Amino acid sequence: MTEKIKYIVTVVISAVILFGLGSWFLLKEPAEYSESERRALSLLPEFSWGSVISGEFMKDFENASPDQFPLRDLFRSLKAYASEYIFNKKDNNKIFVADGHLSKLEYPMNDDMIDYAGEKFSFIYDKYIKDTDAEVFLSVIPDKNCFIAQDNGYLSFDYDEFSKKLSEKTPFAQYIDIKPLLSAEDYYTTDTHWKQENIVDIADKLCTEMGAPFNDTFKENKLNKPFYGVYYNQSGLHVPTDEIVYLTSDIIDGCTVTNYDAGKAVSYPVYDMKKTEGADLYEMFLSGTVAVSVIENPAAEEKRELILFRDSFGSSIVPLFISSYSKITVVDIRYIASGALTGLVDFKNADSVLFLYSTVLLNNSVAMK
Amino acid sequence: MLFSSISFLYFFLPIVLILYLIVPKVLKNSVLLLSGLVFYAWGEPRYVVIMVISILVGYVFGLLIEKFRGKKLSKVFMILSVCVDLGLLVYFKYVDFFIENFNAVTGLGIPLLRIALPIGISFYTFQILSYTVDVYRGTVPAQKNPITLGAYISMFPQLIAGPIVRYSDVERELRDRTHTLVKTYDGIIRFCVGLGKKILIANALGELCETFKATDEKTVLFYWLYAVAFSLHIYFDFSGYSDMAIGLGKLFGFTFMENFNYPYISKSVTEFWRRWHMSLGQWFRDYVYIPLGGNRVSTLKHLRNIFVVWFLTGFWHGADWNFIVWGLYFAVLLTLEKMWLGKYLKKSKVLSRIYVLFLIVISFVIFNAAGMGEAMQYIGGMFGIGATGIMGAEWLYYLKSYALILVIAAVGATPVPKLLVSKLKDVKAGNIIVSVLSPVFAAAVLILCTAYLVDGSFNPFLYFRF
Repeated sequence: MTEKIKYIVTVVISAVILFGLGSWFLLKEPAEYSESERRALSLLPEFSWGSVISGEFMKDFENASPDQFPLRDLFRSLKAYASEYIFNKKDNNKIFVADGHLSKLEYPMNDDMIDYAGEKFSFIYDKYIKDTDAEVFLSVIPDKNCFIAQDNGYLSFDYDEFSKKLSEKTPFAQYIDIKPLLSAEDYYTTDTHWKQENIVDIADKLCTEMGAPFNDTFKENKLNKPFYGVYYNQSGLHVPTDEIVYLTSDIIDGCTVTNYDAGKAVSYPVYDMKKTEGADLYEMFLSGTVAVSVIENPAAEEKRELILFRDSFGSSIVPLFISSYSKITVVDIRYIASGALTGLVDFKNADSVLFLYSTVLLNNSVAMK
Repeated sequence: MLFSSISFLYFFLPIVLILYLIVPKVLKNSVLLLSGLVFYAWGEPRYVVIMVISILVGYVFGLLIEKFRGKKLSKVFMILSVCVDLGLLVYFKYVDFFIENFNAVTGLGIPLLRIALPIGISFYTFQILSYTVDVYRGTVPAQKNPITLGAYISMFPQLIAGPIVRYSDVERELRDRTHTLVKTYDGIIRFCVGLGKKILIANALGELCETFKATDEKTVLFYWLYAVAFSLHIYFDFSGYSDMAIGLGKLFGFTFMENFNYPYISKSVTEFWRRWHMSLGQWFRDYVYIPLGGNRVSTLKHLRNIFVVWFLTGFWHGADWNFIVWGLYFAVLLTLEKMWLGKYLKKSKVLSRIYVLFLIVISFVIFNAAGMGEAMQYIGGMFGIGATGIMGAEWLYYLKSYALILVIAAVGATPVPKLLVSKLKDVKAGNIIVSVLSPVFAAAVLILCTAYLVDGSFNPFLYFRF
């Protein structure tokens, strides 16, 4: 290759990249939603002299241009692979791969957030539960870093200390330790959540500790499509996908879930198959993120009511509780203020109240209202 | 606007290049002026007025200085132009610092003005000053065409972060410059080198520094990791930006001066400052140090000149005491080297380099601190005072995670990669490899940097605040 050819090829290739991608960027149809990241994308701003003079146009353009860039997913993947394989970074945007699992760094232990969660639970106890006959329980779900982080050289806090701290903040609740029953295999490899088919023993332990009988006879069903968990999408890496297995029984099939999100009661099945058409298949469990849901079990032989304060981990374990209770009220205080439960949740008839939360949320509990 | 942004790479730059290529020669400076103003207004729409005023002030005073050359009025106009330019700089950059310290000394409560700093004002003010002073000195003729002068001052490749290009250096090219295939190739390669330094290395190290600042686990070794990472970060950030500026300059037919020459291989602090931010060092030498008498005066006055220059160098970097202390720290070191230490440093290449690296790392801890309190806390932490231990889990994790980037940065801060390419080119087969890899390198850097930008990675730029 002569020097001249080198010059020409370099100039032409650079021009093709800059002008080609630049033209594509400006001419392409705007993308409003990223399926892979499960989020709305920023749109390029409308031009107006007012917005230019105020600087808003340029600020919005800068913010939106990475979102609207052509081949966005491909570039995100390229960055993820470069970060891991060229620069040998241990994580990319805090997402890492260990023991075949994608996970996200959850470090350090945030004492303020533990205190905040404890204060929220105490507030709920004082306002609604203290004067009832309900027994109160607390259980912390360790995220999967508990089982994969430290052994693979990733930052990890002391999960026993975490639970102890929260337990000390909530002396009114009896702590149920489920950590010994869990291992890395109990979690989806591409998602933060646990697998329903692997937590029957957890459900058994929780029900037994709360004084409810437990029926462990379920039928396994596989969802006929791959599950791309939240970390799969965030990581940009192409790793094997998960599959969703859900457990059914005649009792579960005979129940409906009543959600009170829109201010009126709307009924759904326990496993909401409409959600399997969306981006997050895990939302099929109890229709995903809902502020208050009530599941009534018409086949219950005796009246036994549970109120469960939970995060998204709770969605997949609640169906396993159904045969043990006549009524389960499920509350997610990320979507409803903890002071606004009067009238929506019947605390008077509750036999048990369980606070069941993952360390992922507890360590970032500012989301609790 | 940042060079390392989607909007610059894929929107601004292609449009400006097309405009620049299609207009006739006589309009090329107009395109540069216009694009410079748009580039500036993109980040600071209001302050583009300040820049236009600065250009007009420089233009008018340049003409007046030349018109009254040989008369007293010429000096009066030169002093006036310096006062106006420095007045704008002091008002926008330093007024709150002065008020704050006046309040602290007198106990008064004069409210702060809280004026936002116009981006790059320190750079373009120095360029205008060099122009008017050079016209006064007769080094260059006054520019009669305001568009040409405007194109020089607002030229976007070097507008907001240097190198501080002097009018005398580009005066000929502003009138008549050539655009060749070789120059374009060199410009592209240089720009890609700078872009890679900035996005792939500097940003990653900047992320590590931010992680350190945010953690409570500040152990001795984490303090040191931060100090080393920041020293490399600032070098790759600033020299990367200078590389991009020089590369862009070539695309538009200009040859800007080099701004860095592997400063971390220096064997004395004196040598370090001949290799670091060279355009600033030379500016202070020519417009402050030598007019004060330089070293051709008594020892006492020579010392005064050193301290004045380094006080100003520190203060130029920021309106806070840690920048002043940072500047004076170098004044002390340079004085020591001139008077006593210099001869010992020549005895061992290894020890002298360790000495320089140690002192430079410490200096950048002062530089990057949010005030002298934090600077002292961090330096104390490096020696165990106030640290949370010797080492911890976070230090080890981030050391492992950034180890390869740190090694690449450490090697890349030396002339080794350049020497290797040069050696390779000396062999026929090697030259072919370099020829084949050049376009691959340019494409790979552009694509990889785009991937990092699209992913919304950490992308600040340090020298915008100056």
